[in-house]
This record gives sequence, structure tokens and C-alpha cells, in this order.
Amino acid sequence: MEKNVNYDPSFAQEVFENVDAGEEIKMCMNCGVCAGSCPLRFNMDYPPRQIFQMIRLGKRDEVLNAKSIMLCTSCYTCKVRCPRSIPVIDVMHGLAHYAIKQGILTRRDTANFGREFWNQVYRLGRIDEKDLPRRVFFAAGFIEGIKATLKYLDMGLKLFLHRRMKLLPERKIKGIQSLRKMLDKAEKMGKGGAAA
Amino acid sequence: MKYFLYWGCSLEGTGANFLVSLKPACEALAMEFEEIEDWNCCGASVSYAGANDLSIKVLNARNLALAEAKGSYDIVAPCSSCYIQMIKVNHEIQEDPELLKQVNECLTEGGLSYKGGIKVRHIQDVLYNDVGLDKIKEKVIKPLNGLKVAGYVGCQSVRPYGEYDSVDKPVVQDRLLEALGAEAVPFPKKIRCCGSGIFLPEIDYCLELVKDILEDAINHGAELVSTVCPMCAMNLEMYQGRINDKYGTDFDIPIVYLTQLMAVAFGLDMKKDAALNYNVIPPEGILQAALGH
Repeated sequence: MEKNVNYDPSFAQEVFENVDAGEEIKMCMNCGVCAGSCPLRFNMDYPPRQIFQMIRLGKRDEVLNAKSIMLCTSCYTCKVRCPRSIPVIDVMHGLAHYAIKQGILTRRDTANFGREFWNQVYRLGRIDEKDLPRRVFFAAGFIEGIKATLKYLDMGLKLFLHRRMKLLPERKIKGIQSLRKMLDKAEKMGKGGAAA
Repeated sequence: MKYFLYWGCSLEGTGANFLVSLKPACEALAMEFEEIEDWNCCGASVSYAGANDLSIKVLNARNLALAEAKGSYDIVAPCSSCYIQMIKVNHEIQEDPELLKQVNECLTEGGLSYKGGIKVRHIQDVLYNDVGLDKIKEKVIKPLNGLKVAGYVGCQSVRPYGEYDSVDKPVVQDRLLEALGAEAVPFPKKIRCCGSGIFLPEIDYCLELVKDILEDAINHGAELVSTVCPMCAMNLEMYQGRINDKYGTDFDIPIVYLTQLMAVAFGLDMKKDAALNYNVIPPEGILQAALGH
């Protein structure tokens, strides 16, 4: 345990200004309810409350490279239980977005999955459940893509045989052009959209 | 009772048995649905990797605006991810005039606007509060005769606001199951997350989550697990083989949607209406045995 804690507000300031929901950590009293509530807590390197404390301590690299910020299953348990009503999940998502934007891919597959998901929303307006895993599998390289496809082929086949996999590719929504204009504007206007 | 139905991407694919069974089961209860024309994806729970928060809000606001332009009915979102995204964005917009202005600035780019006048509801909410248990019981002609069902609520379907049920100790699904004649077995993991949208990329961690949930349900006597979420259904059903390989377990328990059980209990067609043939782990045997008692 460090006896003399020195707060370095520079990274906290960066988080308040550039990370979606970043300023919400000001309310954290480090009680640890979020840490105890998270389904993937045993797989995290730092629980959320510790991430928040590390932001105050100025530990920029440790926070942005933390596995924890990429492991949110979005169950909202932390948010509904936080005694100070901090939307812990929104902060974790904001931090993940900020880290990925700077090329930090601590959990490569999860980051790729999320990015491909969003790319598809932007491209089609909807999700093509066949195309998404294919793109994620092959994002890691051709050989990896083939290996992953073979690994999950049984599942895809079962879903198809039980009428739970559409055969045709998903078509663009009619208003795709106008949707893209809206999203382009939001990307520029939003806080987490600011370039690092 | 008329509603907008926003079923989302999964219910046309991996969660098709939810949508196929929902329509006839709800129509039997005199519910009427109108599709939100040209709806878009809600962004689910993983879009933050590629999008900032405002983009995700605008994405959902487009659907809200499309609905508002067509009528004032409540939107029913059966998929829990669609539900939580839409209700969260809607609340935030309604509570913050400055945010509503920002969102509308973006919507205007595509020729839309949103006033904030629409309400978003979960399917369990409207079944329990608008239709009511009495009316559901009236429709039951093939009661499930005490079939032991674990009502797996998951996480997102009752959150983040707990508008119609407790966020930590939910009971609505259990009451609905009981109305169909089933016995809702209590099991503590009913609100434990299954891994949701990051299951596939984080499979090594998430298999254990599902193993614990299934174990808990079975240890409390469940013969069947019901759910109201396409991610829960997918993760709980499709990965049982992989869990068995990894942990030496022998799970083979059917995972059905609440609306499939409704269709069965209402005496509708087992295939056409209840869509039981869509399930990879077949539930017919267990259901036939229960009905035949």
C-alpha cells in the first residue's frame, strides 16, 4: 500500500473533458458495490471503483490499457446498485471508446466485434447476423478467419436448420442516407467524438 | 390495445422464435401491433467501441421520431437490448432539454425531429400491467400443469429504471408463468448476466457465467428455462455443448421464450404459432408430458 497518495489531476481533467460520462466519477466514494456486482469481476484486472481512483491518481496508461474497461457485458447491475447513482456502465463504455479511438486494443476481439457492429449499423442501418461474425473472425487475418469459421460452423448450421439464420444478406434500410447524415453530425458534435 | 412494435435485428434471425410466437400469443389477448416503418438497429450494447454516446442516442432517437410521426401509441420492445437502449435514450432526452436540442440538431440533418412524447415499454410490462393476469388466465386452455420453469429474467429487461418490476428481485415473469399454469422455480441467478453481447469475443469468460446460471436453475428443480431476451436465449441454448466439453457437465435443457409458452398454453399451433421447431434443444417432449398430465 502506498502511504502517501499524490493526486495528479491532469488525466482526470482529460477524462472529464473527452470521455463520455467521464465527469460522473466525481461522485464516486470508492465503496466497491460496483466491484461486487459485476458478473466478470473475477476476470478484471482492476474493479471499476479502482479504475476511478486511478484516474484521480493520474495513472493514464494503466487505465487506458486496463482489461476491465473492455469487459463490460452491459448488464447495468453496477448502475442500478450504485449508492451515488453513478452510471458506472456509461463511464466504462466511455473509457473503452476513448482507448480504442487511440488504437489501444487490449481485448482485440471484443474491440473488433464492437467496431464491426457499429460499422454495420452505419453501412446498413441494421445488423446482419451472418456477416458480423464473419467480419470479426477475418479481422484477425485470413488463417485465423478460417479457423474461427470452422470452430463455429456447427452453431451456424444448427441455427440455419432451425430457421434462425437468414439466407439472404441484410438490405440497407430505406433511409440509410439520411441516417448517415444524422450520425455524421452526432460524431462531430458529441463529446466522445473529439479526436484525441 | 394498440402499440408500436419495435422488434429489432435479432428477432428476424437468431431470435426468430420470439417474434413468431409473440405475434399470435399477443393477438389472442387482443393486442394490436404496428411496425415502426423503416426502423434501424438500436446499437445494442457493443456500439460504444465504434461510436460516441451522442451517436448512439441519435440512432435511437430516429426510431422514436419515426414512431412519433405516425401516432402516440407506446412502443413495445421485446428484445431486452432494444428495450434498454431505447428507454434509456428516451428518458435522458425527456429529462434534459439541452440534450433534446442536440439530438434534434442531428435528426434535422436527415429531415426528422422528436418532441419526446413517446413511451417505451417492455413486453412483460404490457402483459402484466395492460393485459393483466386475469385476462391471460382466461385464455389458457392447456395449462402447463405445474411444469417447473426457471423464469430467467437476465439483466436488461427490467433495467435501468425498474419501471415495471424490481431491478434486483424481479417477479413479473414468474407471475406470468404461474398464470399459464407453470410452477416458477425460485433461483437466485435469475438476474445474473449471461455475457450478453460480448459472449462471442469473450467466450472463455462467459461460458462460466452460463454454466452457473444453468446449474442454479437445474439445482432448483427446473425442467425448462424461459426467457424474454434473444441474447439470453442464444447464449443459454447454443453453448450448452461447449460448456459440457469444458466443464464435464451434461446440460441438455430447453430454453424457450415466454411467448412460446403462452402460445402453447393458449392452445395455439405448436409449430406455426409457438415456433417450437425453431429451438435447437427440443422442448416438445417436456411440454407434451406436462400437458398430458
